[in-house]
Amino acid sequence: MSGTYSPSALPAPIARLWESLRERSRSKRALLLMAPLLVFELLLFVAPFLILLRISLTEGSQDLRYAPGTWSISGYGEVFSTDVLVNAITYSIMLGLLATAITVVIATFYAYAIWRSEGVVKSALLFSVVLPLLTTLVIKTYAFMPLLSPNGTLNDVLLSLNLISEPIQFVPGTVGVVVGQVYIVLPYAVLAIYSVLATMDWGIVEAARDLGASRPRSVLEVVVPQAMPGIIVATVISFAWSVGAYAAPGLLGDGQNKAQAFALVVEKRLLSNLQWEVATAYAVVMLLLMLVSIVLLTAALNYFGGEFEYA
Amino acid sequence: MSEITLAGLEKRYGDTLAVEDVSVTIDDGELLCLLGPSGSGKSTTLRMLAGLETPTDGEIRIGDEDVTDRPAYERTTATVFQDWALFPHKTVLENVAFGLKMQGIGKSERRKQAREMLERVRMGEYADDDPMNLSGGQKQRVALARSLAVNPDVLLLDEPLSNLDKRLSEDMQIELREIHAELEETFVHVTHDQDEAFTLADRIGIMADGNLVQVGEPNEVYENPKNRFIEGFLGDTNFVAGEVERTTTESIHVETELGREVDLPTTGDADALAEGESVALSLRPEVLSIESTDVAGSDGNAEGEQATPVRTDGSTTNAVVGTVENVLYRGSTIRYSVAVEDTSVFVERTVADSGAFDAGDEIRISWDGADVLAFRDDGSRVDL
Repeated sequence: MSGTYSPSALPAPIARLWESLRERSRSKRALLLMAPLLVFELLLFVAPFLILLRISLTEGSQDLRYAPGTWSISGYGEVFSTDVLVNAITYSIMLGLLATAITVVIATFYAYAIWRSEGVVKSALLFSVVLPLLTTLVIKTYAFMPLLSPNGTLNDVLLSLNLISEPIQFVPGTVGVVVGQVYIVLPYAVLAIYSVLATMDWGIVEAARDLGASRPRSVLEVVVPQAMPGIIVATVISFAWSVGAYAAPGLLGDGQNKAQAFALVVEKRLLSNLQWEVATAYAVVMLLLMLVSIVLLTAALNYFGGEFEYA
Repeated sequence: MSEITLAGLEKRYGDTLAVEDVSVTIDDGELLCLLGPSGSGKSTTLRMLAGLETPTDGEIRIGDEDVTDRPAYERTTATVFQDWALFPHKTVLENVAFGLKMQGIGKSERRKQAREMLERVRMGEYADDDPMNLSGGQKQRVALARSLAVNPDVLLLDEPLSNLDKRLSEDMQIELREIHAELEETFVHVTHDQDEAFTLADRIGIMADGNLVQVGEPNEVYENPKNRFIEGFLGDTNFVAGEVERTTTESIHVETELGREVDLPTTGDADALAEGESVALSLRPEVLSIESTDVAGSDGNAEGEQATPVRTDGSTTNAVVGTVENVLYRGSTIRYSVAVEDTSVFVERTVADSGAFDAGDEIRISWDGADVLAFRDDGSRVDL
């Protein structure tokens, strides 16, 4: 192992072997460093998913949740034979797109505001983004009930201002679901975009204005393209989360929302109908759809100037 | 017409006064350098001109228009920034075409104009490159091309050469001069580098503590500084403290820390200084001549007690004798630090001059009294 001898002093095949050994030892070290993460992923993601996949390929059972040890594709048969799947896909994708669009627009403005503010205002803005993360999902989602319900605060205000003549039912309903979902993902989206903006030099915005770009134009021409990596991350997080939304449709949705949201469709078959082979088949189909849509989404965003790398 | 008038310009940030009072008229086609140390308010003044800062008080007029409250994008100025501020996600060509794009010029036309501008600054071959991959000097050229592409009435340069190495910066100074001569546009150039200011400027405006202290042609501010700050800031000089001993109609005699009286010839106004008033005398190295005491001292005068010889043209020559303490080689010149009585003075001589001195040598320093400038305690210059 002494550093004094050079490979050229060795016969060529041995030198090559030596080189490849060194190469391998280096990658082994990398593997070792990654081991905790790999074990984590294997134990908590890959293994459960394989179990889930296995269950989706069993027969149904009258007495049990599924018939262990059997092989069948009847679960998938049921998934593709009703229009529940099409409804769930339509509903979830629509909710995903709507919540994502609203979230990313608000998050971009909010992150820009944090970036441009100073001192106490900046701290306050940042703190108010992080604050909701300290509250559990269920509680902060439920908070919209008293706020948005027919006899809730918002309706009271609108009624007293004579803007509406009778209460509007925001919750339970689709409006409530979208609002709740946006509220859940917004902090993550803001932080993703802000982290990119924070590294940006305000000077280039000044340069753009100096060259004749109006305020909105300078943001569009200079800030947005620079913030694109953050915007893409925010979009992917918002979309993936919203398509698989569980809490918002479950707590703030009406019957229709609950019957159509993908996660709730799975939940119903898992906990009420006790048809695990069907529930897991839905889950597998949903996962595949998610993968495909996220690949398509990032491809589309990359086309519009992002530089998002998968690796 | 793009004559610029700044009147009583002031900028405060909370309790901090960045610019206190800047008033100047910049002629059409002039190249004005704002020169001053860090924190003197020169960049803030330029940013107010660009519209990137709003003045707290005062007025800015470009041509006949009051642009004081007009935002940067509605002004006919273009700025070259210190760190160049190139758009990182755009190509070099897109950077240069940006201003034209904002003016609503069509894609092919603006690309054509941008390409011409890039050729002009000799960056044509880099049109499709990522600006982040360029060297400092190249970024500088692109930034210049980007600002010139919009054909501004006024080009503002905010220390654009300070991030370049000395040689590159000197080359760019000459190029800037050429571009200025060619375009006949008004340039306002901010710098803390006096060599740069002297090379470039038609006129120099000296800034200190948020005030524009003096504006004038380079030789004028150098030879006729308004106050002690400018005298000390431009070039190097020796300030010698003293007290007025007596005044006559022809000269003022000052008792100095050099251990002898220094005579300042006056052209009449003997009341400029009162007896007993303390003054600081500026002895620039270039007005001091030095020689070995072996030659000069042979006339028998004792050290420090030489009589003031009066030349045939009537000017007086003062001289002192001191000991060389330090020799500093500075390339083309050698600087000697010389102990004279309680103080020390530095003098310079070019390498080409014959006869070098060593530490410990005794030398005689002499000067023409008319070349000495005097400043009062408050910094104002004595009008001799």
